[in-house]
Amino acid sequence: MYGSAIVRHVVTFGRVLREVGIEVGPGRVVDAVRGLGAIDLTRQEDVYFTLRQTLVSRHDELELFDRAFVAWFLRGPVAPLVRQKHERKLQAKIARDTLESGRSDDDTEVAGEPIELGASAHELVREKDFAEMTPDEFERVRRLMLLLAKTRPLRTSRRRAPDPRGDALDLRRMLRRCLRSGGDPVDQPWRSRKLVPRKLVVLADVSGSMDAYARALLLFLHALVGTGRGVEVFAFGTRLTRLTGDLATRDPEAAIARATEQAVDWGSGTRIGEALREFNAVYGRRALSRGAVVVVVSDGWERDDPGLVAKEMAKLSRAAYAVVWVNPLKGNPEYQPLAGGMRAALPFVDRFLPGHNLRSLEELAGVLAGIERRHAA
Amino acid sequence: MAFRTIDDLEAALRSADYLPDRGLATALFLSLALEKPVLLEGEAGVGKTEAAKALATALDARLIRLQCYEGLDVSHAVYEWNYPRQLLHIRAAQEGTVSEEELFGSEFLIRRPLLEAIDSDEQVVLLIDEIDRADEEFEAFLLEVLSDFQITIPELGTIRARRRPAVILTSNRTRELHDALKRRALFHWIGHPSIEREIEIVKLRVPGIPERLAAEAAAFVRGLRGLDLAKPPGVAETIDWAQALAALGREEIDAEVVEQTLGSVLKYREDIEAVRDETLVALIDEARSATR
Repeated sequence: MYGSAIVRHVVTFGRVLREVGIEVGPGRVVDAVRGLGAIDLTRQEDVYFTLRQTLVSRHDELELFDRAFVAWFLRGPVAPLVRQKHERKLQAKIARDTLESGRSDDDTEVAGEPIELGASAHELVREKDFAEMTPDEFERVRRLMLLLAKTRPLRTSRRRAPDPRGDALDLRRMLRRCLRSGGDPVDQPWRSRKLVPRKLVVLADVSGSMDAYARALLLFLHALVGTGRGVEVFAFGTRLTRLTGDLATRDPEAAIARATEQAVDWGSGTRIGEALREFNAVYGRRALSRGAVVVVVSDGWERDDPGLVAKEMAKLSRAAYAVVWVNPLKGNPEYQPLAGGMRAALPFVDRFLPGHNLRSLEELAGVLAGIERRHAA
Repeated sequence: MAFRTIDDLEAALRSADYLPDRGLATALFLSLALEKPVLLEGEAGVGKTEAAKALATALDARLIRLQCYEGLDVSHAVYEWNYPRQLLHIRAAQEGTVSEEELFGSEFLIRRPLLEAIDSDEQVVLLIDEIDRADEEFEAFLLEVLSDFQITIPELGTIRARRRPAVILTSNRTRELHDALKRRALFHWIGHPSIEREIEIVKLRVPGIPERLAAEAAAFVRGLRGLDLAKPPGVAETIDWAQALAALGREEIDAEVVEQTLGSVLKYREDIEAVRDETLVALIDEARSATR
């Protein structure tokens, strides 16, 4: 077997990695030790790759791993990124704890509670602008959102399930029945394709002008992410940040705080075109948007060139199944989409909706559930 | 195991006309040593699929490829019953003489890649290509196959691998894969190769190409990757392009020949338009001066 010194080294290094936020299970540590046992330990490069390939499983953890490796094995100067991440976690935890102590019940009760969206007690809260809500009202809205989020756009899966009114013969079962009738298909079992949720991509503006709405919308998105896989959420201000992972695991409030911190330079305005460009270049290229319903949430105030917004929206709408734009300003009856970015984007938008109160989110949910492929432009 | 050291494997891949960087060689070596699948991620065209083919050649093993796509199901990935033959068989036999066991026997089974790989006596390299394109339901199923290396067919029972296939999964990261699947596999990220390695790759894959042409082509493509393109070219494109240039009998690149052949490097109209005129000239100058 391998020296116990190596085992101890790897186990400790695993702990270091966990501390910087890389998830390292015991199985991985075993793999790492076995891997080191199979290679020549005198070559540093080989040791590095062996540890990396056994302990890390995500591209976005590679940088963290490299820093930890340098600090731990090469005794290099300690990398600041590690500390930042740790602090961020701490902040999130504090935010979570504060929120939780103020909460009288937990999420599990929500599902069992008989909430009807049309109930008159909620009528007021449905119409109220998110920007004007008290924390208490906001809490009620949060629960209603959980129900709303269950409506997802659907697509047909390739898999088939038994269905007497289906459109394809279940040949396997038919054949078995044929055995009894000497090869005559007397009765015919049918199957049909199942409906499964369609991919949903949300790009939410969290810049200063969207502050009041972004919070509500992100709560809605958090509930959406909780409805299963195939939902991707991004936040943007001056930069684009992927939020999907955060929303799945963290408290939504902490996730929003983090997104805002990462995506926004205060006072520098929104760069919608640039955010869309980045999305198309990094994620669109990997076909994340192909066949998806894409929802952009923004007031359309573009700091830079509206031309870029038009160009990138064109790209996006070509790849997507449908594009929905949610603009809270549209809640005002006098609103006209005159802001440069908004005007540039509109030709490529299939549905243009407000999103300023709960009723309009219901409308959004309805649209998402029934949306059809955009017409050829 | 076939290879004692990483160096041995690297040499074998080399003689299979594939130049791995040290990281990839280590990943493939560990995959064989630990008998674990390896997940290769990276931009399109960096040679993920080629790596599996080269490994099969190096091991003198059979390569079985499963190309994933949305809607891929068990009947296309694992097995399917041959219904027309079964039906004919029932009809041909005397009434009541065909039993269910006979009808669902292995002669009526159509083997698809996964079953083929598990139920094989020879050494197999199983390439599961672009796993991120398959549905999540399929990913869950695959996880099951890759943890036990066995497949259950209700009518026939469980088939266990007598020899574990070497498994290579590739992903373009259109979505994150399930954690459970990742936990089963080693992970290696393949980036674009260094300029020296790319020149070496071009020379290996386009035999007889003038040294200078290979260097200029690699440098030019490298320049393209620095631009904001819808689809930056991968190594595969560099090879295609170098082949085209060599076929035209060129010794070096110039604006005219680049414009004629740009379609083998850039696959989108917008990208080709973005690299016109001054940009093109600047890139060519840069590539030529870098190799001078």
